[in-house]
Amino acid sequence: MKEYDQLKSWREQNIKTVSGDSIKLNEFHDRLIIATVHVAIEKVKSEWGPAPARFSFFIMGSAGRSEQSVWSDQDHGIIYQGPEEVNPYFLKLGEEISNALFAVGYDFCDGNVMASNPRWCKSTAAWADQLHDWFDNESWESLRHFSTFFDSRVLVGNEEYLAELKRIAFWRLEQNKNLYLRLIENVSHIRKGVGLFGQLLPNSYGDEAGTINLKEKVFFPYVNSLRLLALWEKLTEPSTLVRFKRLESTYGYLENYKNLFIILLNYRLRFQHDTKSYEKVHLLEVERLTRKEKQELKQMMKNGYKLFSDTRGIIEKGVRLENK
Amino acid sequence: MDSVFLMNNLWVGISAVLVLLMQGGFILLEAGSTRMKNAGHVAGKTVFTIGLGTIVFWAVGYGLIYGEGNSFVGLSNFFYGDYTTMGEGLAGSVDFFFQLAFALIALTIAFGGFAERAKLSAYVVFAILFSVFVYPVVAHWIWGGGWLSEHGKQDFAGSTVVHLTGAMAALAATIILKPRIGKYNKDGSANDLAGHNQVYTALGVLILWIGWFGFNAGSTFGVEDAFFGYVALNTQLAAGAGAVAAMFVVWALTGKADIPTTLNGALAGLVAITASCAFVAPWAAVIIGLIGGLIVVFSMKFFDKAKIDDPIFALSVHGAAGIWGTLSTGFFATPELAAMNGGMEGLLYGGGFHQLGVQILGVASSGLYAFVVSFVILKIMSVVMRSLRVSEEEEIIGLDLSEHGSYGYPENMPNQNQNQNTSA
Repeated sequence: MKEYDQLKSWREQNIKTVSGDSIKLNEFHDRLIIATVHVAIEKVKSEWGPAPARFSFFIMGSAGRSEQSVWSDQDHGIIYQGPEEVNPYFLKLGEEISNALFAVGYDFCDGNVMASNPRWCKSTAAWADQLHDWFDNESWESLRHFSTFFDSRVLVGNEEYLAELKRIAFWRLEQNKNLYLRLIENVSHIRKGVGLFGQLLPNSYGDEAGTINLKEKVFFPYVNSLRLLALWEKLTEPSTLVRFKRLESTYGYLENYKNLFIILLNYRLRFQHDTKSYEKVHLLEVERLTRKEKQELKQMMKNGYKLFSDTRGIIEKGVRLENK
Repeated sequence: MDSVFLMNNLWVGISAVLVLLMQGGFILLEAGSTRMKNAGHVAGKTVFTIGLGTIVFWAVGYGLIYGEGNSFVGLSNFFYGDYTTMGEGLAGSVDFFFQLAFALIALTIAFGGFAERAKLSAYVVFAILFSVFVYPVVAHWIWGGGWLSEHGKQDFAGSTVVHLTGAMAALAATIILKPRIGKYNKDGSANDLAGHNQVYTALGVLILWIGWFGFNAGSTFGVEDAFFGYVALNTQLAAGAGAVAAMFVVWALTGKADIPTTLNGALAGLVAITASCAFVAPWAAVIIGLIGGLIVVFSMKFFDKAKIDDPIFALSVHGAAGIWGTLSTGFFATPELAAMNGGMEGLLYGGGFHQLGVQILGVASSGLYAFVVSFVILKIMSVVMRSLRVSEEEEIIGLDLSEHGSYGYPENMPNQNQNQNTSA
């Protein structure tokens, strides 16, 4: 479609101007996604008529946390205020948005966390039911869905629907603090990037030989730690950086980690602003790093593991005290 | 007849069966370490080459090793068939059977370098030529009264004779055959062409491990003084230490406690202790195994980096660990055990560099001979037979189909239904 092509070329022409600054880059992504979603909404309106209910479109994952890099995949959902009968309309809208975002340069989500998937496109009532189901089941998969859901913010439409769902989640966690332990378990498998001798552990085989996956090995411990702490403190903010800032007065130990995380955000952009695709964007070529950069990277990873273990300790202790 | 004589012969006979059982270990090890499309071929060719190797060893191999000859090669006892016995030592036929089983192990190791891309006809021809020109010569040098045994070379059960010789032939083969399709990318990075069944590989290693008690403890050639128990103890310690070291080292280096590497560690411990099992103290067996496990990890990485495709790690397990095992007696051989079993004590027992020098000479000369002769044989074969390697298409569809006409796992292969001759 012509509009999507225009948006794509606008992206290509302008992204370089912001690709060195994480905050500006994410504002850029937000503007592009909002513009794209509006085009998609208009397109569905022209084919299927106006939306049969009020709704909001929200984003999750790295976009939700305002931590997108130059390339990113899509993670999004829809909440509408209406009866179940109107679901097909919003699924259609979700599909159009997914295709539109793909057309302007956002890869489809491997895990199908997209508003075209019934799991992520529901009425306010059905969303509330789903949250309750997730907590009732407390299975590895359902809590993984919840963690994904929680790093979210509204880009188009009424913000109150999402805020209400987060309140329901906090209430459930308040009722059963052991859920925090399950949420810790859910993210406690960390793929280590530093070996016994303090050496970097790049992938050894295949296309990714010689690279370290920054997202899995460096970012995730920070992101997961701050999500857990935000849940513990009932903070709805999705951004890891904002979570750091809001929590550091209560948790003094966070300050150093916050500074490392800021370095990490920009560090990533420094190496990635010329990557050509989403598959490669998280892969850092170890050989391109200077000695000093390698040291920094190791520090970031080691501290990430330590942050996770400190945070885990704090929450586990808190749960034990509550259970007494 | 003397009961000790009978027990000695019975023990070596049982050991020969255990060594033959090691082929079952190789079948599972190799099949598990390679891909599904080649599994039937890899397993089945082993049985075939055992058959071919047996006939060649009977016809000429045994005579070239143990016949009356010179210090380079033996030249009598061809077409072996002696049923008489002296009533002391080993009956000739028992010894023949035991030696045959060893020769077949070297042959199977050599074929590790052929895996997943050599023509079946290359196996046929090389099985004959290796069993005539390569293995018997080295075996004669060290075990058959040849020039290295005159120097007091210590190789109790064959780290050099069997493992290094086989591995050097495998090295020559894998260099000439070149890497498998898909092993290396255009930019030079290596891919992990993972084997299709780690359970087979693990079970294969365990069968080899058990068979190794025939290999090492059987090499006492008898039950007198029950010395075989001591050899078994050292063998077990080194195998365990090899597995432990390899898993720890690969975990420390890569962050992953890799299973194939761990299994190779156990085998490296076994290969390393094969030369030294009758010469060293148990604590030294542990160290020899640990270092074997360590060496195998680095060796695997080295061959990957050097772009030498070693599909079932024969070069690392039997070559690198075989060299280490042979050299290890130069350090760790004790005076008492050296006096019992030949050669001198090692460096750590005040023997100086003498024994180490003999071991180095043995490794270098045997390794070089096995490599050069195998290389020349394979080069000539590749000219005469046009190529040792199957065509690209055949390699892609798999050797099960290209060389034998049916898949080892027919249900798992795509697009084969049209070839099925099923009758309702």
